[in-house]
Amino acid sequence: MQRQSRTLVVSEGSTSCMACGFVLGPVGKPWKSQARLSVTKVQEIPGSTSSTYADVVIRHFSCPGCAALLDSETALPEDPFLDDIFLTK
Amino acid sequence: MDPITFSIIRHRLYRVVEEAVITLKHVSGSAITNEGHDLMVSLYKADGTLLLGGVGFLHHLTSAAEACKSIIRRFEGDVNEGDLFLLNDPFTAALHTSDIYLVSPIHYNNELIAWSACFVHVYDIGAMNPGGFAPEAQDVFSEGFSSPGLKLVDRGNLRQDIWDTLLNMVRGPEMVALDLRSMIACNNVAKDRMISLVEKYGLPTFQETCTTLVEQSETRLRARLRELPDGSWQSRQYFDVKGEVYKVLLTMTKKDDELTFDFTGSSPQSKYSVNCTKWASLGGLFAPLFPLLCYDITWNEGVIRPIKVIAPEGSIVNCTKPSPVSVATVGAIQSVNNAACTTIAKMLASHEDYDEQTSAVWHANHFAVFMFGKNQKGGDAIGILTETFAGSGGARTFADGVDIGGEIPNPISRMANVETVEAMFPVRYLFRRRLQDSGGGGEYRGGTGGEIALVAHDAPDGGLHYVLSGKGSKFPQSEGLGGGNPGAINDYVWVHSEAGHDSHNCFSQSLSSIPGEKEAISWGVFPLMGDDALYVRWNGGGGIGDPLDRDPAQVLDDVSNQTISPEAALAMYGVVIENNLVNTPETERVRKGLRENRIMQKEGI
Repeated sequence: MQRQSRTLVVSEGSTSCMACGFVLGPVGKPWKSQARLSVTKVQEIPGSTSSTYADVVIRHFSCPGCAALLDSETALPEDPFLDDIFLTK
Repeated sequence: MDPITFSIIRHRLYRVVEEAVITLKHVSGSAITNEGHDLMVSLYKADGTLLLGGVGFLHHLTSAAEACKSIIRRFEGDVNEGDLFLLNDPFTAALHTSDIYLVSPIHYNNELIAWSACFVHVYDIGAMNPGGFAPEAQDVFSEGFSSPGLKLVDRGNLRQDIWDTLLNMVRGPEMVALDLRSMIACNNVAKDRMISLVEKYGLPTFQETCTTLVEQSETRLRARLRELPDGSWQSRQYFDVKGEVYKVLLTMTKKDDELTFDFTGSSPQSKYSVNCTKWASLGGLFAPLFPLLCYDITWNEGVIRPIKVIAPEGSIVNCTKPSPVSVATVGAIQSVNNAACTTIAKMLASHEDYDEQTSAVWHANHFAVFMFGKNQKGGDAIGILTETFAGSGGARTFADGVDIGGEIPNPISRMANVETVEAMFPVRYLFRRRLQDSGGGGEYRGGTGGEIALVAHDAPDGGLHYVLSGKGSKFPQSEGLGGGNPGAINDYVWVHSEAGHDSHNCFSQSLSSIPGEKEAISWGVFPLMGDDALYVRWNGGGGIGDPLDRDPAQVLDDVSNQTISPEAALAMYGVVIENNLVNTPETERVRKGLRENRIMQKEGI
């Protein structure tokens, strides 16, 4: 297995959850669409203020197999997922 | 060459920069320089290429290199021993007009052998708003004095006509003069020490060391890049000005031993002064690259060579003249910096050996509050609230971020003492402290930001005014990593005093306890008059990892010292605290439930 990020590994040509091995798709391709997505408004996070933009959210991507949190990103609803593409040598 | 001699000369070069920085700080009289450390000193080869990036704001290292090269081109055949050149045009090389570069050729036996360069954010530059940041500017022509290059000192003689012209165009000319003299002194010290170095080791050895130093940096960075996996990583930053939302989108691609930073997809240039010129964007992305990727490599031209940058012309990261740019350094540059920090951190996290070098985004968003008016002695006062430099540390993969822990682009940034500000301006602090719930949640949380409140005090005009370039109150920008949350956002509040309220008797210790109507503000010029108050809070660092993996004992500790609230302990970390103790069975039950909720969510499409 080769490490892909702090939460993902490459195993047998696939991107997998580091914690449980759940396969999220072929390596070199976006994987987030295979993860579980929970969306939280930034306004609802402790420490936010009334000035916070109403539509901005935190997207949390979790492993469907073990619920490990794989990644997060700040986003407006209309913007696509950020894609991190890992290429094995 | 002899490795010991090489190493000695390398370290002597560091000491040259260090001594020049000390000179700069001790001669300048402005808090932004000698307390906030908004400065930079660096050394360049005879052709203007970066030889040794020094300390201070790292955004300037590549821009000052271009300033040297631009001066070499402009003054070809007219660069003499004892000359000193000034450049501050953002479309030539600088970041914004108020950050003035003074660059000095260094000659030895009549031969040009090197350059030194430094900058400070001068007290004022004659922009339409005092202090240099001009949120009301429509174009660069209303952002003050701007030069693509002029000779300020000719063969050791100050050009009085130039000097007088410049000081005639600024507010507080005596303070601007002190800033300029501090930079002249700084360059003189750098030049003197460089010549001593050459005299001791000889010019051939010195020049061989310089060449080797640059080649060594390039070789080592390329080797490091080859160790890391190929791939591309993305990051996105949002910020707003007066309701208009801007985006900086970065795709960083690493292939073999080269890195490409592509900002395609970023917003078009703004009508507001938050834009970056291409030099500003270059500086913005190199500021985190130097410390994160080259922590053990000398910062010079060799580090720059493997890097390519794509910044679409006409975008907020490469605006065209005459777009206004005076707020760039706390505007789009910071978003470029943050985005680069995130993509570099993601790349480092993809390799076990570099895991400990990874960091979430530190203090992502400066607030710029330039106060101006009559001080308690009847004199003029202009100056920035240096709390903007206090920062907050991003989480690491082995520890929390440092509370009020500085920032990545300036390793020596710090804030002035409260007493310094109260001595310079007719104001009184109600409080200055760490900001609860500001560090991004994670297995390792981000360091906290802070909060302050000010009232006018002993003001001959009843108070003063301030220029606020306060983007960053709408979107979090201190991105987390590996599931960590971003740090909290900035906020700026004008508290309009109630009838009968006397601020002299006000010792409120929180925003909510300051009496009066609270108005969120962010951009423009505002009064701090009478019994009104100004409240400012600044962002915390990003977190790393799953907040549900954080040790409950650490969460309890955070609650005990008021770093986080009990509400955050439960909602973000799933830790149940009762009677100042962790209820372990309940915590396990809550965390299990939160994890199950994740799996219940839909797929990410």
